[in-house]
Amino acid sequence: MNFKKCLLALVAGSVFFVSCSSDDDNAGQAGAYRDGTFILNEGNSTPSTASVTFLGNNGSVQQDIYTTVNPDKPGLGTYLQDLFFSDDKAFIISGSANKITIVDRYTFEYIATVDTNLENPRFGAVVNGKAYVTNYADYRTGADDFLTVINLSDYTTSKVALNNWSEKIIEENGKLYIANGYYGDGTSITVFNPANNTTERVIELGASPESFQEEDGILYVLGGGKLSRINLATNQVSGSITLPAALTYSAQDLTIEDNTLYFTASTSVYAMPLNSATIPATPLLTYTSDSEYGAMYGFNVNDDKIYIADGGNFSEDSEIYTYSLTGTLLNSYTVGVGPNGFYFND
Amino acid sequence: MTLKQFILTLTLLVCHTLVAQQDSIVQLKEVLISDTQLRDFSSTQSVNRLNDSVINKNSSSLSSLLQYNSVVYLKENGLGMVSSPSFRGTTAQQTAVVWNGININSQLNGQTDFNTINTRDFKEISVRAGGGSVIYGSSAIGGSIHLNSLLEFDNAFTNEIRVNYGSFNTQGINYKTLVSSDKFSASVSFTRNSSDNDYNYVGREGKNLNGQYYNTSLNAVAGYKINSRNRLTLYSYYFDGERHFSLIFPSEIRTKYRDNNTRNLLEWVGNYGKFTSKVKAAFLQEEYKYFDNVRNDAFTYGKVESVIAKYDLSYKAGENLKINTVLDLTQNKGHGSDILNKTRQIGAASVLASHNLGKRFMYEVGLRKEVTNNYQSPLLFSLGTKYKFTPYYTLKLNTSKNFRIPTFNDLYWQGSGNTQLKPENSWQVEAGNNFVYKGFTVSLTGYYIKIKDMLRWVPTGSVWRPVNTDKVKTYGAEVLMGYTKTIGLHNLAINATYGYTKSQNEVTGKQLIYVPFHKATASLSYSYKKISAYYQFLYNGDVFTRSDNNSRYNVDAYTTGNAGVEYNFGTANTYKIGAQMLNAWNADYVSVESRYLPGRNLNVYLNLKF
Repeated sequence: MNFKKCLLALVAGSVFFVSCSSDDDNAGQAGAYRDGTFILNEGNSTPSTASVTFLGNNGSVQQDIYTTVNPDKPGLGTYLQDLFFSDDKAFIISGSANKITIVDRYTFEYIATVDTNLENPRFGAVVNGKAYVTNYADYRTGADDFLTVINLSDYTTSKVALNNWSEKIIEENGKLYIANGYYGDGTSITVFNPANNTTERVIELGASPESFQEEDGILYVLGGGKLSRINLATNQVSGSITLPAALTYSAQDLTIEDNTLYFTASTSVYAMPLNSATIPATPLLTYTSDSEYGAMYGFNVNDDKIYIADGGNFSEDSEIYTYSLTGTLLNSYTVGVGPNGFYFND
Repeated sequence: MTLKQFILTLTLLVCHTLVAQQDSIVQLKEVLISDTQLRDFSSTQSVNRLNDSVINKNSSSLSSLLQYNSVVYLKENGLGMVSSPSFRGTTAQQTAVVWNGININSQLNGQTDFNTINTRDFKEISVRAGGGSVIYGSSAIGGSIHLNSLLEFDNAFTNEIRVNYGSFNTQGINYKTLVSSDKFSASVSFTRNSSDNDYNYVGREGKNLNGQYYNTSLNAVAGYKINSRNRLTLYSYYFDGERHFSLIFPSEIRTKYRDNNTRNLLEWVGNYGKFTSKVKAAFLQEEYKYFDNVRNDAFTYGKVESVIAKYDLSYKAGENLKINTVLDLTQNKGHGSDILNKTRQIGAASVLASHNLGKRFMYEVGLRKEVTNNYQSPLLFSLGTKYKFTPYYTLKLNTSKNFRIPTFNDLYWQGSGNTQLKPENSWQVEAGNNFVYKGFTVSLTGYYIKIKDMLRWVPTGSVWRPVNTDKVKTYGAEVLMGYTKTIGLHNLAINATYGYTKSQNEVTGKQLIYVPFHKATASLSYSYKKISAYYQFLYNGDVFTRSDNNSRYNVDAYTTGNAGVEYNFGTANTYKIGAQMLNAWNADYVSVESRYLPGRNLNVYLNLKF
């Protein structure tokens, strides 16, 4: 059951890009998918189970928008892993098909496919006209992990070896930060300089990073039973909080929104002030899931709403839930198979 | 011939087979089979025998033979790739494949991949519909497929060679030889198939990448009559194959899979008046290796070695009553990269009886009980009766309880295996109506099967584990029809099958995925002197691919057909040259979503017997 290996929800990194991109002024442009949220449905090994659902800000839901808009274009692949934006484009990574489908983020019209120099791609980030995608290659070892560098002017690619477990990746101030954590393997953060394609620093955490996000010059990293803060001016760990034992292995999905730090553990969502030195004893909310591997399969927070995706049984369409910031259920929607992430397109 | 091609068929021509012979397997003198229960205790069920002349007209995979000649539905992951059956709406693990009387379903996953059996290695292949666990043990719920070697003592020396070549560099060779005296007999069949299997998709861009395969198999039987009462026979089957698994997206990582199976059965038969005693010892070995990246040497594997000892005693009280007891002991020893090293032992005893009361009425009964320390095994039974109302019409009724035992993967998968599992079990009933009139034969069978404790892997706690959870109700109807007519030198034969299948999860009320409501096959063949032509047709209804039966994702119904011609240019011997056009209509179709099958393609063959 491969999909079980692809447990982690994506969230943190991409939220960042969204917030970057949403600074762009796109007023006046057309596009059916301008105001709303893309939900990435990971699917299983069958191509039709991998899809993107659009949830409009007005509450309307459209399933499988890629196939609807592009019935005759190549499929997205299976095991959809991540979606990231650059200007007016969205990039959709298929982990098993080793390809990235590029679409117009507002119309979802097909633009191009990148399928070179990819081997089990994971997550992507964009800096200076280039996209950088982490690849775990052979999952048995971190030594062969690498970055795919995509030139966004012509979609040509090249490879840069990382030689370290490489998962989530974010851009900040022209630098790339890569979480070197893979289901307990790898315990550091790589600082990568895209200007010369070299690893500038490896920051040891002593715990395996699961998710991270930057806010005001601080990189907040969650995983391996720790919440760590890294000062990006010095690339030093400036502090860390050890999580309660009950959350050691389940805490994930670190997300920062409006100076509140959210994370999840099993079916619960925790919220704390960004600079709090203590982990809350009780969760903000707990939802009910009968899907152990798909519980809290995707999570994000945006515009006063908490979004939770339940992976379900990975063979049928599943559900997402929206909650208020105080933990009240607002709505639930049926989406596709194995929803694993929310990407805000506004 | 190649695993992969749908080569033609037509059961017909030579073959009175299908429907006509359901009731009994006509035994020529001194032609012996190991699976005598198929002959003696299967009278109240439907047995559809495909002989070597039918086998020869089809592609060499079991998958293709059954796809075009039976009601069994096959789900094929692309041409030559993993192929799993659904018989009467049941799962792939609920069809038993029986080689010379020995159940050879995998101990690891409980099923047989129908693309890893080369049909040309067998003299006859029979499709026995309905329950058979009393005789064949685990998995014989939907039905069983019987691969039989025949042992002949008739002072013969014959050779047959067949070579074929077709589209996508598909090559096949089969060589058979039979040497026999009245005391000794040996026959050997060797098959080699290979294909680049790189066909272009029909009506869309792209081709079948990384689909290449090859396989080699050898099936042999050697018998020696020690004296007039005692005979020793050795049956052996070897299969070795490597398949690359074809890609859906060209940029996927390329994988491949190796199968290596050996099966040996030694049988000592003693005939002592009314008693026939058989001592059998079998040694089976199955092994797979899966390479998750063809560029690496790394693989995962599983291997099971099985030893089976059987004592089979039958007693014939006159012409009308047969009683048969079978005791067997099985030991399976499994190991692999993902399963715990385990050995399990199963003992079983069964009693079978068949009784004719007059010329028109007969009944048969069977009981079986297995004992093992791994799980509780139910008492299995079978009860059937047959009544011949007129020379034209016979009614058969049968009811049975059958089961499917948990596999090594279910029990011993590292970290998830569940040793508390019970076997799946079924209770089923069927009624068969057989009509025979001049050249026409029609059989109409209705069935109802209730299956409990179906195994499914579900999340329990922090891991996925198999549990006995599902209940399924499956019912339907099967129609088999045959017609043959000879006028002078003209021979015409028509055969058809149709299956209607409703297979429901009793909790959700939904149809099981990949079970079509409708499947139909038909074949027409015509011969005149030394030339013959045939056409074969398959209709497969649409299937759900989602357990919630969301029809948006259905695999569409498809219709495909194959055509062939054959010319016998031999005089004393049979020397045939033939050509076949597969998927003659160039249909764009899939059996499994996104696994496109080839369009129109050609195949030529030469078949020499001397």
